Order: sequence, then structure tokens, then C-alpha cells
Amino acid sequence: MADTIDVIGAVAAKPAGAPEGGRPKGSGFARYLVTKLVAAAISFLVTLVIGFVLFSLMPADPVQSITRGRPTSDAQMARLRHQLGLDQSVPERFFHFVTDTLTGHLGTSWEFQQPVSSLIGDRLWPTLLLMGTATVISVLLGLWLGVRSGWRHGSWLDRIVTGASLTLWSVPTFWLGMILLITFSVGIGPFPGFLPAGGMSDPAITGGLDHVVDVAKHLVLPCLTMVLVVFAQYVSVMRSSIIDELGSPYLLTARAKGLRDDDVRRRHAVPNALLPSVTMIFMHLGTVLGGAITVETVYSWPGLGQLSYQALKVPDLPLLQGTFIVFSASVILMNLLADVVYRFLDPRVRAQ
Amino acid sequence: MTTSTPLRRTGRKAAALTASLLLGTAAGLVAAPAASADDGGGTLRMPITGIGIDSLNPFLAYFAGSLDVFSGIYPALDRVEQDGTVKPYLADSWTTSSDKLTWTFKIHKGLKWSDGKPITAEDAAWTFNLIMKNSTAATANGSLVGNFASVSAPDATTLVVKTKKPQATMLSVSIPVSGIPIVPKHIWESHVKDLKNYKNDSFPIVGYGPWTLTDYKPEQYVKFDANKDFLLGAPKYAHMIQQAFKNTDAAVAALRSGQLDYVSGLNPTQYQALRSQSGVKAFEQVGNRWNGIEVNGGARTRDGKKIGTGHPALGDVKVREALALAIDRATIVKRVRDGLAQVGASYLPPSLPQYAWQPSGSEKFGYDPAKADSVLDAAGYKKGSDGIRVDPKSKRKLEFRLGIHSDDDADAKVSTYLAGWFKEIGVKVDIQSMSSSKLNADLAKGDWDILMDSWSTGPDPTYLLGIQTCAALPDSKGEGGSTDSFFCDKDYDDLFLRQQSAFDDKQRADLLRRMQAILYKANENIMIYNANGLAAYRTDRVNGIVAGKADSTGAFPAQNSFDQYLDATPAKASSSSSGSGSGTVIGVSVTVVVVLAAGGVFLARRRSSSDDRE
Repeated sequence: MADTIDVIGAVAAKPAGAPEGGRPKGSGFARYLVTKLVAAAISFLVTLVIGFVLFSLMPADPVQSITRGRPTSDAQMARLRHQLGLDQSVPERFFHFVTDTLTGHLGTSWEFQQPVSSLIGDRLWPTLLLMGTATVISVLLGLWLGVRSGWRHGSWLDRIVTGASLTLWSVPTFWLGMILLITFSVGIGPFPGFLPAGGMSDPAITGGLDHVVDVAKHLVLPCLTMVLVVFAQYVSVMRSSIIDELGSPYLLTARAKGLRDDDVRRRHAVPNALLPSVTMIFMHLGTVLGGAITVETVYSWPGLGQLSYQALKVPDLPLLQGTFIVFSASVILMNLLADVVYRFLDPRVRAQ
Repeated sequence: MTTSTPLRRTGRKAAALTASLLLGTAAGLVAAPAASADDGGGTLRMPITGIGIDSLNPFLAYFAGSLDVFSGIYPALDRVEQDGTVKPYLADSWTTSSDKLTWTFKIHKGLKWSDGKPITAEDAAWTFNLIMKNSTAATANGSLVGNFASVSAPDATTLVVKTKKPQATMLSVSIPVSGIPIVPKHIWESHVKDLKNYKNDSFPIVGYGPWTLTDYKPEQYVKFDANKDFLLGAPKYAHMIQQAFKNTDAAVAALRSGQLDYVSGLNPTQYQALRSQSGVKAFEQVGNRWNGIEVNGGARTRDGKKIGTGHPALGDVKVREALALAIDRATIVKRVRDGLAQVGASYLPPSLPQYAWQPSGSEKFGYDPAKADSVLDAAGYKKGSDGIRVDPKSKRKLEFRLGIHSDDDADAKVSTYLAGWFKEIGVKVDIQSMSSSKLNADLAKGDWDILMDSWSTGPDPTYLLGIQTCAALPDSKGEGGSTDSFFCDKDYDDLFLRQQSAFDDKQRADLLRRMQAILYKANENIMIYNANGLAAYRTDRVNGIVAGKADSTGAFPAQNSFDQYLDATPAKASSSSSGSGSGTVIGVSVTVVVVLAAGGVFLARRRSSSDDRE
């Protein structure tokens, strides 16, 4: 494979690369990194503005939502309005929002009356645990199945894998979640349930290994639901890129060298076909923090998706803006990482 | 060639990682006990009430889940049973002065906070005074002490409350769940400065009540230990756990599989499904909530300035009367609530039988579309060529917006029925589904015609009646106010004032009924049904969680969570871990399957590579 890519790389690099061939490699990368960093910073600022505008335009009265059903006097409501800064003008609020964000203050949630950063902090790890595990498993499973079914496309394995993954991909997540929950937690017919119905742990189980095992048990169903719904993406992208590579002459060369079919696939076809999947993995990693609202709701998982949904209902602007910042920052960061990793994976990018 | 090696190695590592994860999980299924670890005395498990807990700081929290927790861990002056009887709690007895302005409470001697310090009248006085003087402390319960002039504790067992005006509802000010929780002064004194940011999260929380809060994880769970020395009798369970469930279907699944003992707030479908489940008892309780529609009879500010975009025809009481006559409430009860509700009429729900009012035969707006038609005809609303009536004054068609809550399944169903029935009498409605926050914001601005609405109430209905007074209208700038329908009536307001100082229960009940009669005639709040509360518990785990006797329709009296958790007793049956045996079997078989599958894949790969090798 290395030979092939070098050839392509050399061809692509010649026009641009030849005149400045003598430049040291490091400075090129530094400049590349700086451009990307600046671009990321700009996109972050733009999303900040968009976020603020969007949420400020939301037609709702948070004070009414928060106090509804509780005996609240006029004076209390007026005080609350003042406390929440709702009596300030929009430019004033925007100024506070930008300065607070840039100095790292995410404000206080209206609904929970706690610092937004601590609310997000509390829910960050559960989301990372669930989405991280689910992403790792679905990437591995999806790529592995995609390679197999693409390599022998049209075979029974291909047909089963493609059919099953696309069917699961089109199933509504909450529906699949409910079905799995009923099946494995309550049990069906003679088969009793054996997995917990919701939450992240059994509060009665404390301490060390028991707790870890208990969390793992609680993780199974939400994670399974996520994986089943999501892995199809990787299967189809990987499958089609492998099929694209099938006719390539370098594979013929590899076979002519006498390599086994497995080795041709693993060492030559897969690395070349992997690039579109890498893009997708990073795009997906960016949205990991956003969590999966539906899965978190079905399984009562105490994550960030659930938190932003709750914030949206009031609407709890500081909390919404806080989660929005965290979500967009993670997407931007992952895109930045993808750009950097790409340079190492694909010599063509390096050469540009 | 060189770049492929690391890739391959990571691939293998990742595969190994996945396999070990899977195996680890499977092993976990076998190793972990299916039932909760128990140290004797039992654990009562239920979901956290409502949409959760917003804060553990009792001066700030609004959510029902928080109020439920506070009722278990902080004391109150007295208790009010659902039927209105007042019972002692921290206060053994109380007296009022002849001018009804001074209340003297005798606080029970010898009680101790969970850290061993004595509970005195000073704790109660300090709590009330803080709420009266510190605006942050007034966040949640400020309005309850709005009429207090002063509170003092002349000695350890005497609490004196002076009010500005006589207050008949004094004994509802500090009660479990809906009243003010009393906190230990020696703990909270040092947090007054930073009250806004104080999370009250050093466990166990120092308090007094049937329970002591020992642990809390946001959005996950709250854990309690029983207080064995509780004044009103120790809880029968040693522990209580409330778990966060973000949807009732999952909570129902947890009840069915034995992970929870009690679930409330069921919908009719869940209730019917649980009725046929063995080992589970599903029960109805009389509803403490009304569901109905608000009609915008003319949104205005407190000083009479018209605001909003309400349809002018709805200002005519005849139009509103016709709407009330066009609703077939019995059909909605049957079709939407599966019969698990009462046909609505009175503004106060049937859970308060001492106050609830029923219209007499001649006053009643029953289902009578022919009468509705004739009422509109007589008032001059003629049908146009399209069958829609026209307002003779504004020349506008009787086309109304009907706002419904987008997250409420019942709203969607009821509004479809309403649209059909209204159409029959020549009234068109445009169903607009929106978020609760948008709906409430529109309501406050008067930008609505008809809204679907629902309210519940605890034992003291003052607040629910208060949102119908003229004082609840927005101020001259169109801001503030907590009005629910822009209803404003002088006679109603007079009665509201009189009931506040009506110290005789019978007299007060009579005033409340007259207020409801006024509301009923105005038809700005048209009641449709009172949904029965639906709940279920595991009979193999818990007894005594339901109090009282079922009425002729099979509905129990409305239950009070404070008493329910206190009275619940572990069931004798020892089959509490029925799931564990089969759980282990399944766990083992899953592990076996995983191991076999892994082995199979490994062998297959070996064989395929050896094929290639040959």
C-alpha cells in the first residue's frame, strides 16, 4: 500500500511541492495548525452569536414556567425577573453573555438555581461513558462488517449485514429502546428479564467492584440500542469504499506478488478505503457529547442530552447556552482533530 | 507496507478490548446479585416524584420531587389530612387570640435534630423570619408568610406568630409537602450569606422527619435511612430509595421486574396493563386535579386596559355558555381516560369533598348541542354559507384558536373531540399545539382564545382560587400577575377576602362553594374531567401503602406521600428476589453463548487463514 500512496502523493505533490521543496517540514505543519486553529476559533465565535440569537428569540416567559403551580406573589416574580436579568435589554444581555463565556463563566441555571458548569460537569461523565462505549463498539463493529461485506459483496454475509443494518438504522430509536427494555428488563413469556430498566446504577449497591459491575449492567441496554441504530452508517460507508477499491490495479499487483486474500484486504484495500470512515468517525465523535436525548430518556440515563431537553422546556437560557457552547465546542474541536489526523493519514493532504 | 502494521495492531487491540468488555459485562450479569443488597428492615423503592429534583435547598426548590423529599427530612408545624382535619406535628397544640391576630404554638419537648441538637421554637421562628426578611430565602415560599407581621420564640417550646390580618389558613402555612419546611438554625445560620448558591449537599443532611437523607446523585437517586425515633412512629422500612425515571413506561417495567415497589402517576394504558399483572396491585385514587379549557373572556390589566389578541365574541357569556353546552364530557371520560375519571363541573377537585361544589339540575351546563345552537341563535350569531356563525358586533366569524400542550397526549385527543362538537354548533377551532412555555407566555399576554389547561391542588385550595381573582391580573404595564384566565369578578373577590378570615370550617366551605358557583356560571374556566390518580405497588413486597377505603366506583381517597411512605410495611413473602435465580441462569447462558461465539469466530479465522496458507 505504501508504494501506491507514495505514487499518488508524488503525482499530486509535484506542482505545488516542487518549488518549496527545501523548506523544513515542521514549519509547514505549524502554519497549517495555526490556520486551522484560527478557523476553529472563528467558527466558535460565530456559533456563540448564533446560539445567543436563537435562544433569545425563543417566545416564552421563563418566570411563568418556573413558578407555575407554586404560590408566587408579584413581588417574587419581579424579583426573579431581575435576578435572571430578564429586565435587561438584549444588547446588554449579549454583552454579558460574551464576556462571561470568554472568561469561562457559564452563569447560573434558572431552573436548578445552580452554576451551569456544575450541572454540566455532573452529567458529562455519564454521557461520555454511554456514548463513548457505544461509539467505540459501533465503529469497530461497523467497520469490521463493512469490510467483510464489501470485500465479498453480493455474498450471503453481505446481504444479511446490509439488510439488517439498514433495517435497524431506519427503526425509531425510542421504539427500539422500549422494545429492548421490555424484552430484557421485564422478560417475555417464559424468559424472565435480567437487566435493569433504567438509571445508571442501583443505589443500594455501593463500593468498588460491585458498583462497577452494576454500572456495566445498566450500560448494556442503552449502549446496545445506540449501537444497533448507529452502526449501519459505518457499515455502508466502509462497504462502499471497499467496493470502490476492488477494481484498483494496486490490488492486482498485491495479488500478483503472491499475497493471501486476507493480507491483500487488510494491508492494501482497508487502509486506502478507511479515509471516508475516518471523516465520519470524527464527525460522530463531535456529536458524542450531545448525547442521544431519546436513548437517555428511555433509559433514564443522567446525561447531557436529557439536561438540554429539560433546559429547553423552561427555557432555561443560561443552561441552554451552556450546553450549546459545550456541544459546539466539541464538534469544532473534533473537526480540528480530524484535520490534523488527516495530515498524518493521507499524504495527499500533507502535500497541499 | 510499513504503515499497515500499526493499523493492524490497533485493530487487534480494539477487538480484544471489545471482547473483554463484552465478557466483563456478561460476567457481571452472573456475579452481581439481582436484588438489592439488604441489611435487614427492607428498602422501599419508588421513582422520584414528578419531573425530578431541582435543588435540595428548601428555600429555593420548586419541583414536586424536591417538595416530596423535604416532607420526609424536614419537620413542619402541623399536618393537614386530605379531608381537612388538622393534626399536630412539631406543635402539640395552638391557640389564637380573641382578635385572631396572634397565634401561639406549643412546640413538642425533647425532639432532636438528626445531629443530636435539640429542636426548639427558635428553629421555627428563625426559619420564618429568614423567609420574611431575606428575599433569596423567600424564593420558594415567600407568599406563604406574606401576611405575617412578626414571629418570635419567647421560650424553647413557645412560638408566637402575629399576622397583619386574620388568616384562616394559618394551619396550612407549615405543613409537609406544600408548606414551609422548618430547618435547623445552627446548620443554616452560616449559609445565609451564600444562600443563593448553597446546594445543601453535605450528607447525611441534618434534619428531622420520618427519614434522614443519606445520599443524593442528581438525576439518579436519593437515599434515605429511617428515623427510628420519629415522633409520629418510626417508618416500617429501614431504608427508602427514590430513583430517577425519565419516563413512566420504564418505571412500570421496573415495577414489573421487581426493581421498584411502588409507582404512581400512571396513564390509563399503563394502569390497565398492570391490573392484569400478578403480584402487582393497581389502584385508583380520587383525583386532585381538573382538566378543562380556559376561555379568554376579555384579557385586561388590573386597571382595566384591554390587552392581547383574544376574539371579541368570547367576551359574550352566551358564546361561552354555548361552548360549555357543546362538550360531551362523559364521552371524553370514556374514550380519553378509559373511564378512569369523573365528569368535571366544580373548580375544586373531588379530592377535597369538603369544599367541592356541584351545580343543581337547573344550573347545570350538560351536553346539549341543540340548546347550544338555540342560545347562539337567540344571541344573534347567524350561520354563514360555510356553516360558521358570525359575530353580529365585530362581524368576525366564530373561529377560535385552541392552544394545546404539545407534550400532552390527552390534550391532543380531547381537542380533536372538541373541534368536532364545536363545529356542529357553527364554531370553528384551529388546534395549535405548542410547548408549555410558549402556551404560558401567550396566556400571560392575552394572546389566545381558548387553551387546554390543568391544575392540581393540595389540601389548601387558596392558591388555586387566588389565580382567579382580579389581583392576579397583570399590572398596568401588562407584566406580572398569575391569572389563569383573566377572570375578574367583584363578588368573587369579596368572597375570597372573606374566606381568608373565616375561622369556622363550615362557614369557609360555604364561601368556597359560592365562589365556585360564580366561576361555573361565567364559563371562563370550563371543567371537563377530574382524572383519577393511578398507581400500583408490588403485593409481594409492600403492604399498607394505600390508606382509606375505596368508594363505590373503586377509587381510594387521594393519598398523601408523607403518610404513604410512613405507613408502608414490608410484605411477609420472602420471594423478594424472585428474579435473581433466573437472572443468574440467563447470565450464565449469555456468558456461555458469548464465549462459544468468540471461540467459533477464532476457529473460523484460524481455518480460513490456514486455507489461504495452503
